[in-house]
Amino acid sequence: MRLNTTIMRITMRSMLSRKRALLLIPMPLLLIVLTVLCANSSSIATAEWVEVLIGDLGVAVVLPLTALIIGTSVLGSEIEDGTITHILAKPLPRSEIVLSKLVVAFVLTMVTAAVPLGITGAIAGSNSFAVALLVGCTVAALAYSAFFVALSLLTRRPLLVGLIYVLLWESTLSALFKGIRNLSIQQYAISITDRIDNSDLLISDLSVTVAVVMSVVFTVVGTLVASDRLRSFNLTGEAA
Amino acid sequence: MSDLTSARTGVIHDIGYQRYQGPRLGRDYALRSLYTYSLRSAFGLGRSFKSKIVPMTLGAFFIGPALLFTVLRSQGLETVTYIEFPAALTIPSVIFLALVAPELVSRDLRDRTLPLYFSRPLSRTCYALAKAAALFSALMLLLSLALLIMYLGAVFSVEGGLTGVLDETGDFLQGLLNAAILTAVPTSLSILIASLSGRRVLASGMVVALFMITAPVSTLLQEAAGSEDLQRLAGLLDPLTLTSGVTAWLFDVENYATYLTETSPYGLLYTLAAFILTVGSLLLLVLRYRKVAS
Repeated sequence: MRLNTTIMRITMRSMLSRKRALLLIPMPLLLIVLTVLCANSSSIATAEWVEVLIGDLGVAVVLPLTALIIGTSVLGSEIEDGTITHILAKPLPRSEIVLSKLVVAFVLTMVTAAVPLGITGAIAGSNSFAVALLVGCTVAALAYSAFFVALSLLTRRPLLVGLIYVLLWESTLSALFKGIRNLSIQQYAISITDRIDNSDLLISDLSVTVAVVMSVVFTVVGTLVASDRLRSFNLTGEAA
Repeated sequence: MSDLTSARTGVIHDIGYQRYQGPRLGRDYALRSLYTYSLRSAFGLGRSFKSKIVPMTLGAFFIGPALLFTVLRSQGLETVTYIEFPAALTIPSVIFLALVAPELVSRDLRDRTLPLYFSRPLSRTCYALAKAAALFSALMLLLSLALLIMYLGAVFSVEGGLTGVLDETGDFLQGLLNAAILTAVPTSLSILIASLSGRRVLASGMVVALFMITAPVSTLLQEAAGSEDLQRLAGLLDPLTLTSGVTAWLFDVENYATYLTETSPYGLLYTLAAFILTVGSLLLLVLRYRKVAS
């Protein structure tokens, strides 16, 4: 398995061209601004705003939503535009295409979501909390990216499935049924953060072993499924 | 221009095509057609089976809970009322708006079909309002269907004869009115946001981000607010808390937004804010289409 720099460069360029790149900035920016405001406010306890801002907003919304938009676009926009044929016509192993796309999606998600979250962590608590949050979110960014890239090849409506996963499965259902947390990437991020840092700002009852193993499973299975789907990709597509 | 006319050498020959002599159907007809077409496309009607997957899945998220609540109620358990129902389905509603709003407006922007619309008697304002109305009707249709299921389930098991049925009908109609009020704010916001991007993925992301980011921010401000007054004002930031506040004030619901009582000035403020937000986003939508490159 190798990476193809040309595919990566083209993907990066299409993701960051013109106004499109600007749309990825407001969410992390808002997160950091709010964190700075809260850190300087005396009327609210740190534990309280960290839970809402980093837990409910950062890890539960900004990270998965960024990963969803980017992950479903790296291959999805090429499928939608029909330019995927140019890539598929080249004598490249499908795994190389998927891997290159995945790396771009991961790097972009990390830069636009995981790193800002790490910064908020640094503002909120100690450096160790920042590192823990960065590691947790980076692992989650990788798992999310692989999952959403695979999703964009498995279904014609990756956004529907992705939104249902993020909003219903991870946020709503996992609060009702604890077992669902074993299949929630968001919980992996929190669990890993909780394990590395012991300041108890973010708490998860999911074991860190499960979190790490399942993150690897999501990443590997996502990549393999995506490669496999691209191998038997149907170019005719749907009738509009 | 004068140069062109003087140097004109070509002649348009009449090659015998028949002119259209029938009635012109005009702007209203075009508006109606666009509205119907948009509403149908929201549910994938008239499209391939694959386009129906999204609306059918989303429909299941509305009908499923409605059936569940009906069954629970027939067993004598206390469940969600007609008034509380739309708020209980916030997440499915947000997903619906995030997927359907871009379907209605982003495609036209991306495929550059707008000039085709505007070359008809249909004005830009009409186009914008027809799309907004279609999105509103689409969500409203799902909510009313779900409420209707709950109503039918209740009406056949209600006790107290005719008065019971009449009471139930009153509650149901109130629920419908409430759903319409609650739908107006998020739909007008969503269609405005979606009209900003021709890429459906981005448009969907922005719609979700709007609802999912304002909610925690509003919660945070409510917690951080020093006084009770500030706390109530912070609720205005989140469109969904805002609409809950309107419901609480109009229909005197105790369950959520408990700080809004009928005597408080905030209920009126919330309602006014909801009204301004709806009208404001529609105005911005019209302005957006006045300028949009076509």
